[in-house]
Amino acid sequence: MNKTRLQQLGQLLNASVVSKVVTGAEWEREGGKKHPEVGDALQLKKVCWMVTRVNGSELQCIEMTAVLTPLEMQLLGWAIQQGGTRPISGASDLERQARRLGEWIQQSVTAGEWRAEVPDRMELRNRLFDGMVPFLLLCEQGEEKEPAYGELEKTIRSFISDETLLIPLREHEWLILSSDRVLTEADSDGDEVLGHEETKEVLSTLAEGLHQLITGEWGGECHIAVGEPIVPSESVVRIVGTLRETIFLGRKFHVGMQIHLPWLVHLERLLSGIPEMVRSRFVEEMMGRPDLFTDSETVSTLDAFFSMDCNVSETAKKLYIHRNTLLYRLDKIKHEAGLDVRSFNDAVLVRILLLLYKVTKRK
Amino acid sequence: MAGVRLENVWKKYAGTDKASVTDFNLDIQDKEFLVLVGPSGCGKSTTLRMIAGLEEISEGKLYIGDRVVNDVAPKDRDIAMVFQSYALYPHMNVYQNMAFGLKLRKFRKDEIDRRVREAARTLEIEHLLERKPKALSGGQRQRVALGRAIVREPQVFLMDEPLSNLDAKLRTQMRANISKLMKRLETTCIYVTHDQTEAMTMGDRIVVMKDGFIQQSATPEILYNHPVNLFVAGFIGAPSMNFITGQLVEDGGSVRFRATGFNVEIPEGKAKALRGKGYIGREIILGVRPEDLHEEPVFIEASPNSVVNATIEVSENLGHEMFLYLNGLGKDNVIARVDGRSGLRENQNVKLALDMNKIHCFDKDSELNIFES
Repeated sequence: MNKTRLQQLGQLLNASVVSKVVTGAEWEREGGKKHPEVGDALQLKKVCWMVTRVNGSELQCIEMTAVLTPLEMQLLGWAIQQGGTRPISGASDLERQARRLGEWIQQSVTAGEWRAEVPDRMELRNRLFDGMVPFLLLCEQGEEKEPAYGELEKTIRSFISDETLLIPLREHEWLILSSDRVLTEADSDGDEVLGHEETKEVLSTLAEGLHQLITGEWGGECHIAVGEPIVPSESVVRIVGTLRETIFLGRKFHVGMQIHLPWLVHLERLLSGIPEMVRSRFVEEMMGRPDLFTDSETVSTLDAFFSMDCNVSETAKKLYIHRNTLLYRLDKIKHEAGLDVRSFNDAVLVRILLLLYKVTKRK
Repeated sequence: MAGVRLENVWKKYAGTDKASVTDFNLDIQDKEFLVLVGPSGCGKSTTLRMIAGLEEISEGKLYIGDRVVNDVAPKDRDIAMVFQSYALYPHMNVYQNMAFGLKLRKFRKDEIDRRVREAARTLEIEHLLERKPKALSGGQRQRVALGRAIVREPQVFLMDEPLSNLDAKLRTQMRANISKLMKRLETTCIYVTHDQTEAMTMGDRIVVMKDGFIQQSATPEILYNHPVNLFVAGFIGAPSMNFITGQLVEDGGSVRFRATGFNVEIPEGKAKALRGKGYIGREIILGVRPEDLHEEPVFIEASPNSVVNATIEVSENLGHEMFLYLNGLGKDNVIARVDGRSGLRENQNVKLALDMNKIHCFDKDSELNIFES
C-alpha cells in the first residue's frame, strides 16, 4: 500500500497507520491463524495488524494504532482484498499476484485436482470469469536471455490486448490468458461468431504470431500450445494440464515443431498411453524392414504425405519434387515394407508405425 | 546500413556428432543481395537463423557492422526477417500488422504512420491497410509481411524462402518485386532459397551450400560458367549440366575424351591444362550444359571434332526451346536444349556438336573442376 493510501486510512481511523513486514512465525505467535491471507486481521493490545500481501513466509501488513471492532476489521479486510483486483499500476504488484496464482495452479496440477476452482483469496480471480484463450508458453532461451516478467508481459499485452494475463508457472513456463474477443477481432467483419474450424485456424495463427514475436525478440527455442476458449476461474487447472500434455506429445512425436495444438495430437495421446512392450511388439510384427524409417528421405516424404491428407500432387508441391518422383518413392515403400500408403488401411498402419518409430528411435 | 561477417562459425546441436554448419566464413558487403542456396538440410536456414539470433552460434563470431552480436538478442540486432510462413497477426488489420514492431519499440505515432504509409505505397497495398489478413490473397499477405519488415528500416533484411507459399506465377512476379525493392532500399539482404532460379535471378552473389559447408561463393555468372565442383555444376542450371564419365587419351598430338557415344577432341588450351595435371590416360567426368549441345548444321560443320550421334528418347517442346532426352551417350540420358522450331521428334537419330570451349572436366575422385582448381 502506498504512502498516500496509508495517510488516507490514518485520517479515516484517526490513528497512525504504517507499513510493516511480519514473519509467519511472528503472526502465529501473536495468535494469528496458520496460513493467513490478504485481508486477515489480528488485534493486539494497542495495535491492529492487517495482511496486505503474502510473500512466501513474509507478510506485508499495515499496522494501525487503534482498536477496531469486528465489523470495522471485516470491512477494511474486504476493501484491501478488492484493492488487489483493481487495475494495477506497478508491474511488480501484478507479477506477485500472477505468481501466487501460478503457484496455486501448479500445486493443483501436481495434486491432480483438475476441477479445482480458483479460490477467493487469489487477487486475480475476478479477472478470470470471462471467456479467455489459453496459451502455454515454454521458453528455452537460456537463463541469460530469458525475458523478465515485466518485459514479457508488456510485449504480450501489446500483441494481444490489454486484458491479457501472464502467469508464471514452472521455470521457463508461462500461462497466457487473453480475452476471447481476440477471436472475433480476427474476423474481417469483426462482428461474426467464428465457426469451430475457423476458431482453430485463428488460434493456430495467433500461436504462430506469438511464437514469431517471442523468438524474434529474444531468440532461442520456444514452444507454444494453444487451447480453445475457457472460463479460467473453473477450468484453468485442467487447461494447463492439457496444454502441458500437448507440448509434451508434440515434442515427443514431432521434433522440430514448435506450435502444438491439442486437437492435432489425438492419435499421439492414444499411442503414448499404450504400454511400451505392446508398442514394441506391434512395431516388430508390422515392420517388414526395421531400417525403413532410418532413411530421412522416407520419413520426410511420409510426414509430408500424411500432412497433405495423402494427396499426391499437394505432397509433391510441398516437397518441391515432381509428382512422378513422389510416386516412385511411395512405390519403393510399398515394395520394401509391403504397405501401400495410397490405400487407407495401409496408410493408417504406416502413420502409426511412423509415430511409434519416432518415439522409439530417440531412446 | 551494414555488412555482415561470419568468422569460423559452427553450429552443432546437442546429441549429434555432425555439425549442421561447419567452419562458415563469409563477408557480406553493405547493400549486397546475397543468396544462400542448397538442397534441404544443407544448413542454409540454420545459418540465417544464427544471423537472426534465433539459433545460438556454437563456435565462431558473427559481426553486424563492426559489432560482434553473438550474444545480442534478436530484437537488438537491427535486423528484420521475412519467413516462408508469414504469420500475419490475424486479429490486427494490415496497418496494425505493419505498425506493430514499431509500436513495440515505442516509436512516435506520426513516425509510425509515416513509415507504414510509405511502405504501403512502395508495396502497392495502400488500399488494403484496413483489411484483416483473412481477407487478403496469398500475394497480398506476402507483401504485408514484407511491409512489416520494411517499416523497421533495418540494417539487414533476412528472408527465409519468402516466396515458397506462392504459386509459380506470383512467385515470378514477387521475385522481381523484391529485387527492385531491395535495390531501391539499398539495404543488405540475405536471402535463403532452395530454388536455383530464384538464386540466379535475384542475387548479387550466391553461396551454394551442401552438408553444412560452403561449396562456392560467387556471382551468378561465375557460378554458372566456372563451377568449382561437380555439386555446384549440377545444382546450378535447369536442366542440370550433363555428366559423362570417360577417359582422356592422347591421339595424334591432341587430347580426346572417349566414352559411350563420345570421341571428341579437347581444345588445345584445356588439353594443355589436363596434360599438365597428369590426367591423360585417366578417367574423368566431362560436364556439358544442355545448351552447349548444338544441332544447327552451321555449328556442326564448324566443329567436326566434337560431333556425337544419338537417338531422341523424349522431346519436350516448350515453344521457344525444346529439351531432347538423348540415348546412346554415356550411361544416363543426356539432355540437349535446342531451338523450339528445330522440328526434331522422338525416336529420331540426331547429330549434335558439343561446344568444347564450354565443357568442364571434373576429377573423378575429388569431384573438383580440374580447370578451376
